[in-house]
Amino acid sequence: MHDITDLDGRGVPGVMIASTEFVDAATAQAEALGSDPARVFVPHPIQDRTDDEVVALADGALEEILRNLTGG
Amino acid sequence: MTDLPDGLIAVVKRDCPTCNLVAPVLADLASGDTKLTVYSQDDPSFPEGVTVHDDRDLEMSFALDLDTVPTLLRVAEGTEVARTVGWSRDAWRGLTGRTDLGEGLPEHRPGCGSRTQDPAIAEAHAIAALLPALRARRIGLGGEEDDVDACFARGWTDGLPVVPPTPERVARMLTGTTRRPDEIVAVVPPDLVECTVEKVAINAVMAGCSPEVLPIVLTAVEAACTDEFNIHGLLATTWFSGPLVIVNGPIARAVGMNSGVNAMGQGNRANATIGRALQLVIRNVGGGRPGEIDRATLGQPGKYTFCFAENESASPWEPLHVERGFDRTASTVTLFAAEGPRGIIDQLSRTPESLARSFAWCLRTTTHPKLPIAFDAMLVVSPEHGRVFREAGWSKARLHQELRDLLQLDGHEIVRGAGGIAEGAPEAFAETTLPKFRDGGLLIVHAGGGAGLFSAIIGGWASGAAGSETVTREVRP
Amino acid sequence: MKTSVDMTTAEEAAGRVLLDPTGELAGTQRSRAPRPASLEGKVVGLLDIRKARGDVFLNRVEQRLTERGLTVKRYAKPTFTKPAPVDLRHEIATQCDVVIEALAD
Repeated sequence: MHDITDLDGRGVPGVMIASTEFVDAATAQAEALGSDPARVFVPHPIQDRTDDEVVALADGALEEILRNLTGG
Repeated sequence: MTDLPDGLIAVVKRDCPTCNLVAPVLADLASGDTKLTVYSQDDPSFPEGVTVHDDRDLEMSFALDLDTVPTLLRVAEGTEVARTVGWSRDAWRGLTGRTDLGEGLPEHRPGCGSRTQDPAIAEAHAIAALLPALRARRIGLGGEEDDVDACFARGWTDGLPVVPPTPERVARMLTGTTRRPDEIVAVVPPDLVECTVEKVAINAVMAGCSPEVLPIVLTAVEAACTDEFNIHGLLATTWFSGPLVIVNGPIARAVGMNSGVNAMGQGNRANATIGRALQLVIRNVGGGRPGEIDRATLGQPGKYTFCFAENESASPWEPLHVERGFDRTASTVTLFAAEGPRGIIDQLSRTPESLARSFAWCLRTTTHPKLPIAFDAMLVVSPEHGRVFREAGWSKARLHQELRDLLQLDGHEIVRGAGGIAEGAPEAFAETTLPKFRDGGLLIVHAGGGAGLFSAIIGGWASGAAGSETVTREVRP
Repeated sequence: MKTSVDMTTAEEAAGRVLLDPTGELAGTQRSRAPRPASLEGKVVGLLDIRKARGDVFLNRVEQRLTERGLTVKRYAKPTFTKPAPVDLRHEIATQCDVVIEALAD
């Protein structure tokens, strides 16, 4: 989250992708940094998924990712 | 104020010879018919032999608004009816009705300062009283946020770091004024927000002001937000100008402003922070930011801060505020829509006529040598140049008149196309003469160090309804 | 975002509470950098934080974005345990218009 926040400060809007396991930690991190970076969550787990399953996660998240990167 | 105990009240401290002197008198009164309530400011075991209330937190002392100990008060039905300070046998006898009081003591002895008058204690008390009155929204920092970076990240700064405005710092800043924190100072464009004394104080903290300059900042905000000064127009223009604050009167010396060497430069806290505080108020409260409403093509460094005091003591002339109708003993701020300064060298003129011509030739070039009337300007005369006029006996009015005469521009030279330059006055004016500055469009002030045969021109902005009018306001505490 | 109610006097004493210097017309959080109206003609940076499966995820994202005609650049942090080094951030900031960082779990 530091990277996204730092890049945002340099004028590069961004979005971070994390698993749903990370939701609460992300909120706490955001508060600690005093910012509210765009974030998209994909269903946990990640590590033991097959390649095809991970591809499906990416497909599923794509529209939401793009929404977070556009629109002013 | 809660009800005081009826009868007599005495406030003392052990660390006071007069309080020690009257200790037996208090013991005497305590055994009398009238109830006596004794408060001690520093030691509840003093005086001996009497029931003493501990006022080390000074709550009662502040409530009674004491400046001296001992103070003896008479109270009836919960309210004070009389008091006397220090020891005076007659006064104590009169107040208590005890004609036998204090036999054997000297007739009178002055008291000592109440602890409530100790500057550190008085300030801490004032701050504690102001903290609950703060109404601004509170911003909690994240656990990992650096407080200085946090101000940058929230867009509160002018690009340089600011002092993070904690409630404690803002309360201390507010001790610099007698105005209430919720008093409205001005409506600040472009967002047209009602700006309170508290909001100015917050930005003054960020600018690095000391509390004693707050009244100057408050008045500068008032002056800037007048219709005549037109800060909104000044922000929105593509021109270079930003508000210049000139301070006149006793307050300049009182707060340690610089009117001498490097007066328009860096290094003086009051100069630097007053101008900066005004800019931060405009930016943060009014919403006037570069790239948004501030569209200046190039801008200039004075938009970080531009504030100095006129050098009145060395001046050959009356100060600016007197010229503009204020009493010499008044303290004022004057707001002028200023470019950055440019220098004039004249190291050889010994006569006022010659020096005035130097000034005039240089003044012609503000905005463009071929453009008359529309824009104002300020001439800052340094002490060495001022001496030339003093020795010749020229008043400021005399110099103004000379410059007016010298700055009559020949239409042939300045119309569009003349000299092969497209810019200039409309061709219709070819057969006439036009003044470089409108009536009242050139201001003259005196500032600077004692060495240097240089003066300065500070270009202004457009005058009139679409432009800005120089505004002077009296500072009130 | 902590509200006034949540802030303790201890936090005030620690200088963790500041008073708002603005006209208070906007929200209190640090605002985000503005997003472009569309990504057409924009360079999208993909930053891999180097946790497991992140590369597979971003490969697919790259493929889908490229299909749409967008220009994609790939970056990777040396380790997920620390923020990206400053020179990597510089690189991304100068080369990209927007960035996607993945995949934290």
